[in-house]
Amino acid sequence: MDKTKQFLKSALSRRTFLAGAGTTAAVAMITGCSNNGTITLPVIPVIPGITPITDADILNFALNLEYLEAEFYLRAATGNGLAAADIGTGAGAVTGGSKVTGLTAAQQSILNEIAYDEQQHVRFLRSALGSAAVSRPAIDLNAGFSGAVTAANSLSPASATLPLIPTGFNPFGSFDQFLVGAFVFEDVGVTAYNGAATLLSTAGIAAGYLAAAAGILAVEAYHASYVRTALTGITINQGYTAYPYALFANRVSALRAALGGGNETPLGGFAAVPSTIATVGASSIVSSDTTNAIAFHRNTDQVLHIVYGAFSPVGGSTPTAGVTKGGFFPNGLNGNISATLS
Amino acid sequence: MATQETQKLDNIIASRRAMLLGGGAALAALALTTTAKAATTVTTYTDADILNFALNLEYLEANFYYMAAFGTTIDKPNAASQAAGGPSGGIGIGAGTATAGITATTTGATVVPFTLPVVKSYAIETAIEEGKHVIFLRGALAAAAVAQPPLDLSVAAFTTVANAAGIAGTFNPYLLDPFFLIGAYVFEDVGVSAYHGAAPLLTTTATGKAYLQAAAGILAVEAFHAGLVRSTINVIDATTGTNYSALTQQISALRATLSKAVAPATPPYPTGTYGDDVPLTTNTTYSLAGGAPVPATTIVDADQTNIIAFSRTTTQVLNIVTGGGAAVAGTKATGVFFPSGLNGTFS
Repeated sequence: MDKTKQFLKSALSRRTFLAGAGTTAAVAMITGCSNNGTITLPVIPVIPGITPITDADILNFALNLEYLEAEFYLRAATGNGLAAADIGTGAGAVTGGSKVTGLTAAQQSILNEIAYDEQQHVRFLRSALGSAAVSRPAIDLNAGFSGAVTAANSLSPASATLPLIPTGFNPFGSFDQFLVGAFVFEDVGVTAYNGAATLLSTAGIAAGYLAAAAGILAVEAYHASYVRTALTGITINQGYTAYPYALFANRVSALRAALGGGNETPLGGFAAVPSTIATVGASSIVSSDTTNAIAFHRNTDQVLHIVYGAFSPVGGSTPTAGVTKGGFFPNGLNGNISATLS
Repeated sequence: MATQETQKLDNIIASRRAMLLGGGAALAALALTTTAKAATTVTTYTDADILNFALNLEYLEANFYYMAAFGTTIDKPNAASQAAGGPSGGIGIGAGTATAGITATTTGATVVPFTLPVVKSYAIETAIEEGKHVIFLRGALAAAAVAQPPLDLSVAAFTTVANAAGIAGTFNPYLLDPFFLIGAYVFEDVGVSAYHGAAPLLTTTATGKAYLQAAAGILAVEAFHAGLVRSTINVIDATTGTNYSALTQQISALRATLSKAVAPATPPYPTGTYGDDVPLTTNTTYSLAGGAPVPATTIVDADQTNIIAFSRTTTQVLNIVTGGGAAVAGTKATGVFFPSGLNGTFS
């Protein structure tokens, strides 16, 4: 093996620490590597439960999330899910989802766009991964949403600015409910791609994976922005007493914060009554840290806790290792990143 | 702390980055866009150079939004910006940690007399966030931060761009809510493509990775802003029967033309052939779930095959923000919003 390949392989191995271990730990490991003046592969400690992850594992992790988003948006826009050619062999079943009723032509066009975007992301990732692409896992939109609503409502009692999400919430029942359903996914996609960007290997960066991931990150942020802009705009104009959907979204945001390490900016800029030019303040379309206005990133464990809707295998309120399935993914994700390590 | 090993890794990566800068992304196995790539004379650069390039763009955006939302440039103390969360003493614009610098030119600009509460709300949020990006990048760069270059955010500068895009007459983004959104449209998607292009150029040292995380995070925020602007123009058109999306089509066509790093020819540019810039539309057709084509919007500015946002080289971005000033390789790009060019290595 020539030296260049050795360098790249060592860089690849280091990334193992990043999955679930956090950037700080990874930096400590990198700077702690010994330098004896010769070019040798660093000694990689074996960490129980952690198999070295590859760029393909990271892209497959993203593919699982894209399957979920594509099934949600395609079913919302058309009533049908991904075509057979786009789901792989032995694909899991999809439960729930139907065409959203009562859409205006303008609203339908928006749904069509986002559905297409996510469908093409599935196709792109499957094409990039080739034979390494995982098939679609089983997806349960009914259990995913109902579980999220139950968990979000149990977080805190109802208040004026954080009412309970009504029983019977159905993201396919109306455009407004659809927006809340979309809100469940979009900011998660942004934080997941943002977290994955720094996990890719040096070789993967040279191969264009980082550019692709960054480009999909941007598209997810466009989508998230649309959803947040729509919810915020209607609420500014009508007030949240008349239009409580932004507050329902904020309850979802609180749940994601509990499951996913914080990393949330609730919607804002509105009041109980319609805002006027004199009274309106800054909105919170962007989900980012308040000091530097830089979008949040999540590690794979935090994302898994959110999409599985579970803190631990036995419930509780603190994220732990060992969650392998639940919520939107009744059988877990397909691929090597599927169980929480923290 | 760089060991010999990590230094050698850096050297490998640096050589790769040199290829990427000149447009080597096309070498990648996952080449995604058909964007025309311009030659550049910059062959060696640091992470700081890349962040300083971004800082120039953030100075531009922050001053525009501060002017529109609060009525002053970013370096001036302003009660309205403070009330919204901005720093009390204004934002530093000098080289390194110096606060004093060259105030942006804003002839004819005023705070926008907003009539739509939502647009005013969005303007305030965006101004504060772009201001924070300036503060963050200056803090990260510390003594290496470039000063704010001379900026021209006057009505005349925007009119120059609008006229080049084939939009006749005076264009004043400070006059009406939708005009403000169109003014913002000029910048936002460019910011997305610029950060996208810059992200893979950063080193993979621990510091470079930290910068990458920040750059990716700012990329996402720029895309949030771009999505906000495009979503709002879309809803205004849909609810009031206007056709401001037509203006975005003209501006996108101009940007796609300038992105080829050539001097602008005679407008109007052909709309409908998007190049590396997809405008806001409502009549695109997509095929979903194997079904017949259906009408769709294009809130997202991305390539239409893979729906991956566009990436631009520094030269392409320079040519856009200077209105064609980067048409000659090796010559400092000047014009329109940057009458004296950008500060730093990438100029």
